[in-house]
Amino acid sequence: MSGGDEIFLAHRLLDEQILDSEGRRCGRVDDIELKGTPPRVTALLVGEGLYPRRLPRRLARLARRLTGPERWGANTLRIPWQEVDRIEAAVHLRGKAEELGLGEGDDPGRWMVRRLPWN
Amino acid sequence: MRRGSTWQRAGAVAAAVALLLLAGGCGDLSRDELSRGVESLSALAAQGELVANGVARDATRSTYARVMSQTLGGEAEHEAEKLADAEPEAAVAPQRHAAVQLAGELSQLFSELQTFPGDEQHGALVERHMEEVKEQADAVVARLTGESP
Amino acid sequence: MKLILKIALGIIAAVGGFLDIGDLVFNTQAGALYRYDLLWAVLLGTIGIAVYAEMSGRVAAVNQRPVFDVIRMRLGFGPGLIALIASSLVNVLTVAAELGGLAIVLQLLFDAPFSLFVVLAVIGLVIAVALLPFGGIERLFGYGGLLMLVFVVTAIHQQPDWGAVAHGFVPSLSDSKLYLYFVVGVFAAALMPYEVHFYSSGAVEEGWTKDNLKENRLNAIIGYALGGTLACALVIVSGYLFHPLGVEPNDLGTVALPAQGAFGETGLLLALGGMMFCVGGAAIDASFAAAYNLAQFLGWEWGRYRGPKKAPRFTLSWLVFLFLAMLIVLSGINPVEITEYSVVFAVVALPMTYLPILLIAGDRSFMGEHVNGWFSRLLGWAYFAVIVVLAVAAIPLLLMTNGGGG
Repeated sequence: MSGGDEIFLAHRLLDEQILDSEGRRCGRVDDIELKGTPPRVTALLVGEGLYPRRLPRRLARLARRLTGPERWGANTLRIPWQEVDRIEAAVHLRGKAEELGLGEGDDPGRWMVRRLPWN
Repeated sequence: MRRGSTWQRAGAVAAAVALLLLAGGCGDLSRDELSRGVESLSALAAQGELVANGVARDATRSTYARVMSQTLGGEAEHEAEKLADAEPEAAVAPQRHAAVQLAGELSQLFSELQTFPGDEQHGALVERHMEEVKEQADAVVARLTGESP
Repeated sequence: MKLILKIALGIIAAVGGFLDIGDLVFNTQAGALYRYDLLWAVLLGTIGIAVYAEMSGRVAAVNQRPVFDVIRMRLGFGPGLIALIASSLVNVLTVAAELGGLAIVLQLLFDAPFSLFVVLAVIGLVIAVALLPFGGIERLFGYGGLLMLVFVVTAIHQQPDWGAVAHGFVPSLSDSKLYLYFVVGVFAAALMPYEVHFYSSGAVEEGWTKDNLKENRLNAIIGYALGGTLACALVIVSGYLFHPLGVEPNDLGTVALPAQGAFGETGLLLALGGMMFCVGGAAIDASFAAAYNLAQFLGWEWGRYRGPKKAPRFTLSWLVFLFLAMLIVLSGINPVEITEYSVVFAVVALPMTYLPILLIAGDRSFMGEHVNGWFSRLLGWAYFAVIVVLAVAAIPLLLMTNGGGG
């Protein structure tokens, strides 16, 4: 699935698990950025802020209130396409999750995680 | 003016419905419902027999017998209340009376088993009485369903 | 010989407690009401879960994709979210039912207040998971569940009319709504989705590859054959003892009565012990399934082997699910009632989590040479049709029969 094979974007890229270079699970591909003519994939988009876009309009309003605004750097992350190493059963990245800002929810450094009784 | 008459109309309908319900009697106990109730009494008595039998043969654990008697006794009481609270159709009033009596007896038997869950003699006694209650309950059901058209 | 034993033990540990409170309740009630007439539905459900589990295990081994990864990937975010919400609701209800059942069994053994046992059970389960290695937990609950074999021995001891028993395996339908409700209930209790979600996640955790496919098949066939046998035994012993007496099994303790009748206190203790391990194991499996599904859908780090430090959100959600379930039980609703709702809602949600697996298992671009053969395809789609019919009929039947009350 890597290299020059064609893949169907919606079938094999969107909603796939993302793994960093160490094999850590750090989110899913919640949306894809396409730019230019002909359209090319320029980045993967990850984050709860993207959920409202994926829902039917009425639910989207409710979802937006729950997950917050879709601002860059707020609830969404942009992973440039160059960071993608290969695509197999998951999307494998070249770098580590922390460097890209991914998987912060599981990051031992975050305040909420530190407060858990076993940390 | 319009709003007032709408509310008045709604009120009248509500009152009529309430009257109909009261007159029809939503707490009425039909032959079928009574029969169903007595069937569950028979079922409880049958189970009570099995539990009591275990006690009588010293072939069970007293904690199990006690907790089962408590649970089943509670169900018998609940059934007794249901039967006693509802108003029976005139035709089945005597059967309802018998049913309430049986439910009360059943409750008492389970209480005894709960108090003496390890006593074999008590167990044997309760087992025999449970069998009698079951037979009587089955007889009531037969009378109820046999008489139905 | 040693190899056979090793495989057998592996199957037992993998398939866990075989039965859960849904099977205990529905099979005993089915036997009491309809004697042996619903055995065919037990068989149908048992084969169904073997099919679903084998496909999920195969997908997991070949693709390293557990069920909710497949669901998110195949259905997308919107429909997948519906499946996740439905599945989470069902799982919480299931955990609540199992916890309630566990508390009832403990109460029957040790006679202390129900609420106390609920809290103790939750604490006990958390401590067991935290301290014991997971292989140990699976073996503990798996082997403990084998105590349920007392019901098979009881059935043989009772010497029922085996002709009538055999006849019960021939499918028969009736226009009695209560009968149809039990067809759905017995089938659904056998095909509880959380078991398969737990199984497929476990396969990924164990690092299964194509080399494990044979093991996967053995688990599905032999493991669920054993489970199905135990389930049938429940129907038979209940049908033999309860049906002629008209006993209505509305309490969990009633399930153990036939074993007590046949083998006295020993039989009773074996039955209660087996029930305890079945239900306890199921509580763990269902609560983990809930956490697995949530974490997999959202892309979090997950896994009991990753540990709470590496997968904190997964661990936290597991605890939250357990806690919510505990609250439901403590609210005072009868666990047997909770069981009935959990089983009925489970079959309603089942098509959503079954279809994506069926599609991927039949997709050569994912499965390569391990794609569904013609037989698996036939079986898989036939079961999908059955599941859809039952899913549509389940809630109407539940309402029409007043929750199986007749």
